[in-house]
Amino acid sequence: MRRNAKLMAGAAGLVLAVGATQVLPGLGLNAADHLDPPGRTDPSVDSTPDRAADIADLYAWHTDDKFNVILTFSGPQATDQPANYDPDVLYEINISNAGNRASTEIPIRVRFGRGSMTDEFGVQVTNLPGVSDALVGPVETDITKDGVMVHAGLFDDPFFFDLQGFMETTDTGDLSFMADRDFFAGQNLTAIVISIPRDRIENGDNLIDVWASTARFGGQL
Amino acid sequence: MTYRNRKAIRLLSVAPALMALTLLPACFDDDDDGDIIAAPAPTPTPTPTPTPTPSQASFDVTPCLTQEIPGTGGFTVADAVVPDTLTLNLAADAGFPNGRLLPDPVIDATLAVIFLDLTQHSPFTFANIPLNPPENDVAFQSGFPFLAPPQGSPPIASSGGSNFSFRSDPPGSYVRVDRMGMPAVATVLIGSDQKIPYNDARPQDDVTGEFVPELTEQLTGLTQALADDLTNAGLTPCAMPS
Repeated sequence: MRRNAKLMAGAAGLVLAVGATQVLPGLGLNAADHLDPPGRTDPSVDSTPDRAADIADLYAWHTDDKFNVILTFSGPQATDQPANYDPDVLYEINISNAGNRASTEIPIRVRFGRGSMTDEFGVQVTNLPGVSDALVGPVETDITKDGVMVHAGLFDDPFFFDLQGFMETTDTGDLSFMADRDFFAGQNLTAIVISIPRDRIENGDNLIDVWASTARFGGQL
Repeated sequence: MTYRNRKAIRLLSVAPALMALTLLPACFDDDDDGDIIAAPAPTPTPTPTPTPTPSQASFDVTPCLTQEIPGTGGFTVADAVVPDTLTLNLAADAGFPNGRLLPDPVIDATLAVIFLDLTQHSPFTFANIPLNPPENDVAFQSGFPFLAPPQGSPPIASSGGSNFSFRSDPPGSYVRVDRMGMPAVATVLIGSDQKIPYNDARPQDDVTGEFVPELTEQLTGLTQALADDLTNAGLTPCAMPS
Protein backbone atom coordinates (compact mmCIF):
# COMPACT_ATOMS: atom_id res chain seq x y z
CA MET A 1 0.00 0.00 0.00
CA ARG A 2 1.40 3.33 -0.99
CA ARG A 3 1.34 5.72 1.89
CA ASN A 4 2.80 9.15 1.47
CA ALA A 5 4.55 10.57 4.44
CA LYS A 6 2.78 13.52 5.92
CA LEU A 7 4.19 15.97 8.30
CA MET A 8 1.74 16.31 11.11
CA ALA A 9 2.11 19.59 12.86
CA GLY A 10 -0.92 20.04 14.97
CA ALA A 11 -3.77 19.14 12.66
CA ALA A 12 -2.09 20.35 9.52
CA GLY A 13 -0.66 17.87 7.10
CA LEU A 14 2.29 19.07 5.12
CA VAL A 15 1.62 19.23 1.44
CA LEU A 16 4.62 20.33 -0.49
CA ALA A 17 3.63 22.01 -3.71
CA VAL A 18 6.70 23.73 -4.98
CA GLY A 19 6.03 23.35 -8.65
CA ALA A 20 7.03 20.53 -10.89
CA THR A 21 9.64 22.50 -12.73
CA GLN A 22 11.60 23.28 -9.61
CA VAL A 23 14.40 20.96 -8.76
CA LEU A 24 15.97 21.14 -5.35
CA PRO A 25 19.58 22.08 -5.77
CA GLY A 26 22.40 20.17 -4.20
CA LEU A 27 20.56 16.98 -3.48
CA GLY A 28 22.48 14.18 -5.12
CA LEU A 29 21.27 10.67 -5.71
CA ASN A 30 23.31 9.33 -2.87
CA ALA A 31 22.65 8.95 0.79
CA ALA A 32 24.74 9.05 3.94
CA ASP A 33 27.90 8.94 1.87
CA HIS A 34 27.21 6.03 -0.45
CA LEU A 35 28.25 6.82 -4.06
CA ASP A 36 29.78 10.15 -3.09
CA PRO A 37 31.66 11.82 -4.66
CA PRO A 38 29.70 10.66 -7.73
CA GLY A 39 32.57 11.51 -10.09
CA ARG A 40 34.68 8.82 -8.46
CA THR A 41 32.29 6.24 -7.06
CA ASP A 42 28.87 6.38 -8.77
CA PRO A 43 28.56 4.00 -11.75
CA SER A 44 25.94 6.29 -13.29
CA VAL A 45 28.48 9.11 -13.44
CA ASP A 46 31.88 7.41 -13.48
CA SER A 47 32.76 4.59 -15.91
CA THR A 48 35.36 3.31 -13.46
CA PRO A 49 33.67 3.71 -10.07
CA ASP A 50 35.91 2.93 -7.12
CA ARG A 51 33.60 0.70 -5.14
CA ALA A 52 36.18 -0.41 -2.61
CA ALA A 53 37.09 3.17 -1.74
CA ASP A 54 33.49 4.40 -1.58
CA ILE A 55 32.66 5.14 2.04
CA ALA A 56 29.07 4.31 2.93
CA ASP A 57 28.88 5.35 6.57
CA LEU A 58 30.85 6.18 9.68
CA TYR A 59 29.67 5.41 13.21
CA ALA A 60 31.35 6.24 16.51
CA TRP A 61 30.04 5.86 20.04
CA HIS A 62 31.24 5.39 23.54
CA THR A 63 30.19 3.11 26.38
CA ASP A 64 31.39 3.00 29.96
CA ASP A 65 34.60 1.27 28.96
CA LYS A 66 34.84 1.21 25.17
CA PHE A 67 35.17 3.54 22.21
CA ASN A 68 33.62 1.86 19.19
CA VAL A 69 33.94 2.92 15.57
CA ILE A 70 32.57 1.35 12.40
CA LEU A 71 33.51 2.27 8.84
CA THR A 72 31.30 0.79 6.11
CA PHE A 73 32.10 0.87 2.41
CA SER A 74 31.50 -0.73 -0.99
CA GLY A 75 27.76 -0.70 -0.63
CA PRO A 76 24.97 -1.15 -0.83
CA GLN A 77 25.28 -4.28 -2.92
CA ALA A 78 23.20 -7.34 -3.78
CA THR A 79 23.15 -10.21 -1.34
CA ASP A 80 24.81 -12.61 -3.77
CA GLN A 81 27.97 -10.50 -3.96
CA PRO A 82 31.18 -11.06 -1.96
CA ALA A 83 32.92 -8.56 0.29
CA ASN A 84 35.41 -6.15 -1.23
CA TYR A 85 38.90 -6.50 0.27
CA ASP A 86 41.06 -4.37 -2.01
CA PRO A 87 44.80 -4.43 -1.20
CA ASP A 88 45.31 -1.12 -3.01
CA VAL A 89 42.99 0.97 -0.83
CA LEU A 90 44.11 2.66 2.38
CA TYR A 91 41.35 3.28 4.93
CA GLU A 92 41.99 5.91 7.58
CA ILE A 93 39.93 6.52 10.70
CA ASN A 94 41.21 9.78 12.11
CA ILE A 95 40.61 10.60 15.75
CA SER A 96 41.17 13.98 17.35
CA ASN A 97 41.39 14.08 21.14
CA ALA A 98 43.71 17.00 21.92
CA GLY A 99 40.96 19.61 22.08
CA ASN A 100 41.52 21.04 18.62
CA ARG A 101 38.66 19.43 16.76
CA ALA A 102 40.41 19.55 13.39
CA SER A 103 43.72 17.92 14.23
CA THR A 104 44.38 14.18 14.09
CA GLU A 105 46.21 12.64 17.01
CA ILE A 106 45.30 9.02 16.31
CA PRO A 107 45.41 8.15 12.57
CA ILE A 108 44.23 4.54 12.50
CA ARG A 109 45.11 2.93 9.17
CA VAL A 110 43.53 -0.19 7.72
CA ARG A 111 44.76 -2.26 4.79
CA PHE A 112 43.66 -5.56 3.27
CA GLY A 113 45.97 -8.22 1.88
CA ARG A 114 45.70 -11.54 0.11
CA GLY A 115 46.46 -14.87 1.73
CA SER A 116 47.88 -18.02 0.19
CA MET A 117 44.45 -19.32 -0.87
CA THR A 118 42.09 -17.45 -3.17
CA ASP A 119 39.41 -17.18 -0.51
CA GLU A 120 41.82 -15.93 2.16
CA PHE A 121 42.13 -12.23 2.97
CA GLY A 122 43.80 -10.53 5.87
CA VAL A 123 43.25 -7.19 7.55
CA GLN A 124 46.03 -5.05 9.01
CA VAL A 125 45.36 -2.18 11.39
CA THR A 126 48.14 0.18 12.46
CA ASN A 127 48.37 3.09 14.89
CA LEU A 128 45.90 1.58 17.32
CA PRO A 129 46.51 3.27 20.67
CA GLY A 130 48.10 0.96 23.19
CA VAL A 131 48.76 -1.74 20.62
CA SER A 132 52.33 -2.69 19.91
CA ASP A 133 52.98 -3.02 16.19
CA ALA A 134 50.21 -3.80 13.74
CA LEU A 135 47.12 -5.81 14.49
CA VAL A 136 46.89 -8.48 11.77
CA GLY A 137 44.52 -11.37 11.19
CA PRO A 138 42.01 -12.89 8.81
CA VAL A 139 38.79 -11.20 7.81
CA GLU A 140 35.43 -12.59 8.93
CA THR A 141 36.54 -13.19 12.49
CA ASP A 142 37.21 -11.27 15.70
CA ILE A 143 40.87 -10.36 16.16
CA THR A 144 42.13 -9.17 19.53
CA LYS A 145 45.51 -7.64 20.33
CA ASP A 146 46.55 -5.70 23.41
CA GLY A 147 42.95 -5.06 24.39
CA VAL A 148 41.69 -3.84 21.02
CA MET A 149 39.18 -5.88 19.04
CA VAL A 150 38.81 -5.70 15.25
CA HIS A 151 36.46 -7.43 12.84
CA ALA A 152 36.44 -6.88 9.07
CA GLY A 153 33.86 -8.62 6.97
CA LEU A 154 30.70 -8.67 4.92
CA PHE A 155 27.63 -7.39 6.75
CA ASP A 156 24.11 -6.12 6.22
CA ASP A 157 24.14 -2.44 5.18
CA PRO A 158 23.11 -0.80 8.46
CA PHE A 159 21.80 2.42 6.91
CA PHE A 160 18.05 2.99 6.54
CA PHE A 161 16.67 5.71 4.34
CA ASP A 162 14.07 6.24 1.62
CA LEU A 163 16.43 7.01 -1.24
CA GLN A 164 13.64 6.77 -3.82
CA GLY A 165 11.62 9.36 -1.93
CA PHE A 166 14.69 11.53 -1.74
CA MET A 167 15.14 11.33 -5.51
CA GLU A 168 11.46 11.99 -6.15
CA THR A 169 11.63 14.96 -3.83
CA THR A 170 14.53 16.39 -5.80
CA ASP A 171 12.80 15.73 -9.12
CA THR A 172 9.41 17.13 -8.28
CA GLY A 173 9.87 19.52 -5.38
CA ASP A 174 7.16 17.55 -3.60
CA LEU A 175 8.14 15.86 -0.38
CA SER A 176 7.84 12.18 -1.22
CA PHE A 177 9.37 10.28 1.67
CA MET A 178 7.74 7.04 2.74
CA ALA A 179 8.63 5.61 6.11
CA ASP A 180 8.02 2.07 4.98
CA ARG A 181 10.34 2.23 1.95
CA ASP A 182 13.97 1.53 2.82
CA PHE A 183 16.28 1.54 -0.19
CA PHE A 184 19.02 -0.12 1.85
CA ALA A 185 16.91 -3.01 3.06
CA GLY A 186 18.07 -6.42 1.92
CA GLN A 187 21.51 -5.25 0.86
CA ASN A 188 25.02 -5.82 2.11
CA LEU A 189 28.39 -4.06 2.26
CA THR A 190 31.89 -4.46 3.67
CA ALA A 191 32.80 -3.05 7.06
CA ILE A 192 35.60 -2.58 9.55
CA VAL A 193 34.59 -2.67 13.21
CA ILE A 194 37.03 -1.51 15.90
CA SER A 195 36.53 -1.51 19.67
CA ILE A 196 39.15 0.32 21.74
CA PRO A 197 39.40 0.68 25.52
CA ARG A 198 37.83 4.08 26.19
CA ASP A 199 40.67 5.31 28.37
CA ARG A 200 43.01 5.18 25.37
CA ILE A 201 40.87 7.73 23.52
CA GLU A 202 39.52 9.84 26.38
CA ASN A 203 41.63 12.90 27.19
CA GLY A 204 40.18 14.83 30.08
CA ASP A 205 37.10 16.76 29.07
CA ASN A 206 38.20 17.20 25.48
CA LEU A 207 35.68 16.56 22.77
CA ILE A 208 36.57 13.62 20.52
CA ASP A 209 36.22 14.14 16.76
CA VAL A 210 36.25 11.33 14.23
CA TRP A 211 36.37 11.30 10.45
CA ALA A 212 37.32 8.76 7.85
CA SER A 213 38.96 8.82 4.46
CA THR A 214 39.90 6.42 1.72
CA ALA A 215 42.78 6.63 -0.73
CA ARG A 216 43.94 4.43 -3.61
CA PHE A 217 47.53 3.40 -4.25
CA GLY A 218 48.95 4.99 -7.36
CA GLY A 219 45.96 7.23 -8.02
CA GLN A 220 42.23 7.10 -8.56
CA LEU A 221 40.56 4.62 -10.88
CA MET B 1 -1.79 4.03 15.78
CA THR B 2 0.09 1.43 17.69
CA TYR B 3 3.13 1.52 15.48
CA ARG B 4 3.48 5.26 15.73
CA ASN B 5 3.01 5.22 19.47
CA ARG B 6 5.66 2.61 19.90
CA LYS B 7 8.01 4.63 17.77
CA ALA B 8 7.26 7.80 19.64
CA ILE B 9 8.11 6.08 22.88
CA ARG B 10 11.36 4.83 21.47
CA LEU B 11 12.27 8.30 20.28
CA LEU B 12 11.32 9.85 23.57
CA SER B 13 13.83 7.55 25.16
CA VAL B 14 16.45 9.14 22.96
CA ALA B 15 15.68 12.63 24.13
CA PRO B 16 17.66 12.37 27.38
CA ALA B 17 20.77 11.77 25.31
CA LEU B 18 20.38 15.21 23.83
CA MET B 19 19.59 16.75 27.16
CA ALA B 20 22.72 15.18 28.57
CA LEU B 21 24.80 17.07 26.06
CA THR B 22 24.63 20.09 28.32
CA LEU B 23 28.11 19.20 29.45
CA LEU B 24 29.52 20.13 26.09
CA PRO B 25 31.98 22.92 26.67
CA ALA B 26 30.61 26.07 25.13
CA CYS B 27 34.06 27.07 23.96
CA PHE B 28 35.06 23.86 22.24
CA ASP B 29 35.40 25.56 18.92
CA ASP B 30 37.17 28.63 20.15
CA ASP B 31 39.77 28.63 17.42
CA ASP B 32 37.58 28.69 14.41
CA ASP B 33 34.00 29.40 15.24
CA GLY B 34 34.32 33.08 14.57
CA ASP B 35 35.49 32.40 11.07
CA ILE B 36 32.69 29.98 10.39
CA ILE B 37 29.89 32.15 11.57
CA ALA B 38 31.31 35.28 10.05
CA ALA B 39 31.33 33.90 6.55
CA PRO B 40 27.59 34.17 5.87
CA ALA B 41 26.93 37.90 5.90
CA PRO B 42 24.84 38.74 8.95
CA THR B 43 22.92 41.33 6.99
CA PRO B 44 22.83 39.97 3.48
CA THR B 45 22.21 42.41 0.73
CA PRO B 46 19.00 41.70 -1.13
CA THR B 47 19.83 40.11 -4.44
CA PRO B 48 17.00 40.70 -6.88
CA THR B 49 16.58 37.66 -9.02
CA PRO B 50 15.97 38.11 -12.73
CA THR B 51 12.95 35.82 -12.71
CA PRO B 52 11.16 36.27 -9.42
CA THR B 53 8.06 34.24 -8.77
CA PRO B 54 5.36 35.37 -6.37
CA SER B 55 5.59 32.25 -4.23
CA GLN B 56 9.34 32.24 -3.87
CA ALA B 57 10.93 34.56 -1.39
CA SER B 58 14.61 34.92 -0.70
CA PHE B 59 15.89 33.59 2.59
CA ASP B 60 18.75 34.21 4.94
CA VAL B 61 19.82 30.86 6.39
CA THR B 62 22.32 32.37 8.83
CA PRO B 63 19.91 31.75 11.74
CA CYS B 64 19.83 28.07 10.78
CA LEU B 65 23.60 27.80 10.99
CA THR B 66 23.97 29.80 14.17
CA GLN B 67 21.11 28.24 16.11
CA GLU B 68 22.01 26.02 19.02
CA ILE B 69 21.04 22.38 18.97
CA PRO B 70 18.87 22.16 22.09
CA GLY B 71 20.51 20.83 25.19
CA THR B 72 24.03 20.89 23.85
CA GLY B 73 25.27 23.87 25.80
CA GLY B 74 26.01 26.03 22.79
CA PHE B 75 26.76 23.49 20.06
CA THR B 76 25.39 25.13 16.93
CA VAL B 77 24.35 23.61 13.63
CA ALA B 78 27.46 25.20 12.10
CA ASP B 79 29.56 23.56 14.79
CA ALA B 80 28.02 20.21 13.94
CA VAL B 81 28.72 20.60 10.25
CA VAL B 82 32.08 22.41 10.36
CA PRO B 83 34.47 20.68 10.69
CA ASP B 84 32.85 17.68 9.03
CA THR B 85 33.47 15.19 11.83
CA LEU B 86 31.46 13.11 14.24
CA THR B 87 31.90 14.82 17.59
CA LEU B 88 31.67 12.99 20.91
CA ASN B 89 31.37 14.35 24.41
CA LEU B 90 32.29 11.31 26.47
CA ALA B 91 30.72 12.84 29.57
CA ALA B 92 27.27 12.72 27.98
CA ASP B 93 25.18 9.81 26.77
CA ALA B 94 26.04 8.44 23.33
CA GLY B 95 23.72 9.06 20.40
CA PHE B 96 23.48 11.39 17.43
CA PRO B 97 24.46 14.19 17.31
CA ASN B 98 26.75 13.14 20.17
CA GLY B 99 28.61 10.67 17.99
CA ARG B 100 26.48 8.21 16.07
CA LEU B 101 24.94 4.90 17.06
CA LEU B 102 23.84 2.34 14.50
CA PRO B 103 20.08 2.83 15.17
CA ASP B 104 20.09 6.65 15.19
CA PRO B 105 17.60 8.29 12.74
CA VAL B 106 20.26 10.62 11.42
CA ILE B 107 18.58 11.84 8.24
CA ASP B 108 15.33 12.94 9.84
CA ALA B 109 17.30 14.55 12.67
CA THR B 110 19.55 16.37 10.23
CA LEU B 111 16.63 17.63 8.14
CA ALA B 112 15.04 19.05 11.29
CA VAL B 113 18.08 20.91 12.55
CA ILE B 114 18.90 22.51 9.18
CA PHE B 115 15.32 23.57 8.34
CA LEU B 116 13.43 24.18 11.58
CA ASP B 117 13.58 26.85 14.23
CA LEU B 118 14.93 24.79 17.12
CA THR B 119 13.55 27.22 19.69
CA GLN B 120 10.11 26.11 18.46
CA HIS B 121 10.65 22.53 17.36
CA SER B 122 12.54 19.47 18.55
CA PRO B 123 15.40 18.01 16.52
CA PHE B 124 13.21 14.90 16.52
CA THR B 125 10.21 16.63 14.89
CA PHE B 126 10.62 14.67 11.67
CA ALA B 127 11.90 11.48 13.29
CA ASN B 128 8.81 11.40 15.49
CA ILE B 129 6.54 11.24 12.44
CA PRO B 130 8.72 9.61 10.93
CA LEU B 131 9.57 10.85 7.44
CA ASN B 132 12.09 8.13 6.66
CA PRO B 133 12.22 4.51 7.77
CA PRO B 134 12.79 4.66 11.54
CA GLU B 135 14.97 1.62 11.88
CA ASN B 136 17.08 -0.92 10.03
CA ASP B 137 15.32 -3.78 8.27
CA VAL B 138 17.16 -6.38 10.34
CA ALA B 139 18.21 -6.26 13.98
CA PHE B 140 21.67 -5.18 15.00
CA GLN B 141 23.73 -7.34 17.33
CA SER B 142 23.90 -6.13 20.91
CA GLY B 143 27.57 -7.09 21.17
CA PHE B 144 30.67 -6.86 19.00
CA PRO B 145 30.79 -6.61 16.01
CA PHE B 146 27.35 -4.93 16.37
CA LEU B 147 26.37 -5.02 12.67
CA ALA B 148 23.85 -7.57 11.44
CA PRO B 149 25.20 -10.55 9.51
CA PRO B 150 25.06 -10.30 5.71
CA GLN B 151 21.69 -11.00 4.15
CA GLY B 152 21.12 -13.67 1.53
CA SER B 153 23.72 -16.32 0.77
CA PRO B 154 26.77 -14.41 -0.46
CA PRO B 155 30.19 -16.02 -0.80
CA ILE B 156 32.06 -15.46 2.45
CA ALA B 157 35.84 -15.27 2.61
CA SER B 158 37.73 -17.70 4.76
CA SER B 159 38.03 -16.73 8.41
CA GLY B 160 41.45 -18.35 8.53
CA GLY B 161 44.80 -18.12 6.83
CA SER B 162 48.07 -16.42 7.53
CA ASN B 163 51.04 -14.90 5.75
CA PHE B 164 48.88 -12.20 4.28
CA SER B 165 50.65 -9.74 2.00
CA PHE B 166 49.93 -6.09 2.71
CA ARG B 167 51.19 -3.03 0.92
CA SER B 168 53.85 -1.26 2.94
CA ASP B 169 53.81 1.92 0.89
CA PRO B 170 53.56 5.12 2.92
CA PRO B 171 50.24 7.02 3.00
CA GLY B 172 51.73 9.57 0.61
CA SER B 173 51.70 6.93 -2.12
CA TYR B 174 47.92 6.84 -2.01
CA VAL B 175 45.54 9.38 -3.58
CA ARG B 176 42.37 10.46 -1.75
CA VAL B 177 39.06 9.15 -3.04
CA ASP B 178 36.44 9.79 -0.36
CA ARG B 179 35.98 11.25 3.10
CA MET B 180 33.17 11.28 5.63
CA GLY B 181 32.34 12.64 9.04
CA MET B 182 28.73 13.71 9.58
CA PRO B 183 26.14 11.71 7.69
CA ALA B 184 24.64 13.43 4.64
CA VAL B 185 26.58 16.68 4.90
CA ALA B 186 28.82 16.00 1.91
CA THR B 187 25.91 14.60 -0.07
CA VAL B 188 23.13 17.06 0.76
CA LEU B 189 24.86 20.36 1.47
CA ILE B 190 27.71 20.25 -1.02
CA GLY B 191 26.80 20.91 -4.65
CA SER B 192 28.06 18.99 -7.63
CA ASP B 193 30.84 21.40 -8.53
CA GLN B 194 32.30 21.28 -5.02
CA LYS B 195 32.09 17.55 -4.35
CA ILE B 196 35.59 16.71 -5.51
CA PRO B 197 37.37 19.51 -3.61
CA TYR B 198 35.23 18.74 -0.56
CA ASN B 199 36.15 15.08 -0.54
CA ASP B 200 39.80 15.97 -1.04
CA ALA B 201 39.80 18.33 1.95
CA ARG B 202 40.45 17.77 5.64
CA PRO B 203 38.84 19.13 8.80
CA GLN B 204 41.71 21.64 8.92
CA ASP B 205 40.37 23.01 5.64
CA ASP B 206 36.78 22.99 6.89
CA VAL B 207 37.59 25.22 9.84
CA THR B 208 39.08 27.90 7.61
CA GLY B 209 35.53 28.43 6.37
CA GLU B 210 36.48 27.31 2.88
CA PHE B 211 33.18 25.51 2.30
CA VAL B 212 30.85 27.73 4.31
CA PRO B 213 29.74 29.74 1.24
CA GLU B 214 28.84 26.48 -0.49
CA LEU B 215 27.01 25.08 2.54
CA THR B 216 25.14 28.37 2.83
CA GLU B 217 24.23 28.48 -0.84
CA GLN B 218 22.93 24.91 -0.90
CA LEU B 219 20.94 25.35 2.29
CA THR B 220 19.47 28.57 0.91
CA GLY B 221 18.33 26.79 -2.26
CA LEU B 222 16.73 23.98 -0.29
CA THR B 223 15.03 26.45 2.00
CA GLN B 224 13.59 28.43 -0.87
CA ALA B 225 11.99 25.28 -2.18
CA LEU B 226 10.61 24.06 1.13
CA ALA B 227 9.99 27.03 3.42
CA ASP B 228 6.42 27.75 2.26
CA ASP B 229 5.47 24.16 2.78
CA LEU B 230 7.00 23.96 6.22
CA THR B 231 5.11 27.11 7.13
CA ASN B 232 1.87 25.74 5.70
CA ALA B 233 2.30 22.68 7.90
CA GLY B 234 2.48 24.87 10.96
CA LEU B 235 6.22 24.58 11.32
CA THR B 236 8.55 27.51 11.81
CA PRO B 237 11.57 27.50 9.51
CA CYS B 238 14.85 28.69 10.95
CA ALA B 239 15.57 30.77 7.84
CA MET B 240 14.40 34.37 7.75
CA PRO B 241 12.85 36.04 4.71
CA SER B 242 15.27 38.57 3.33
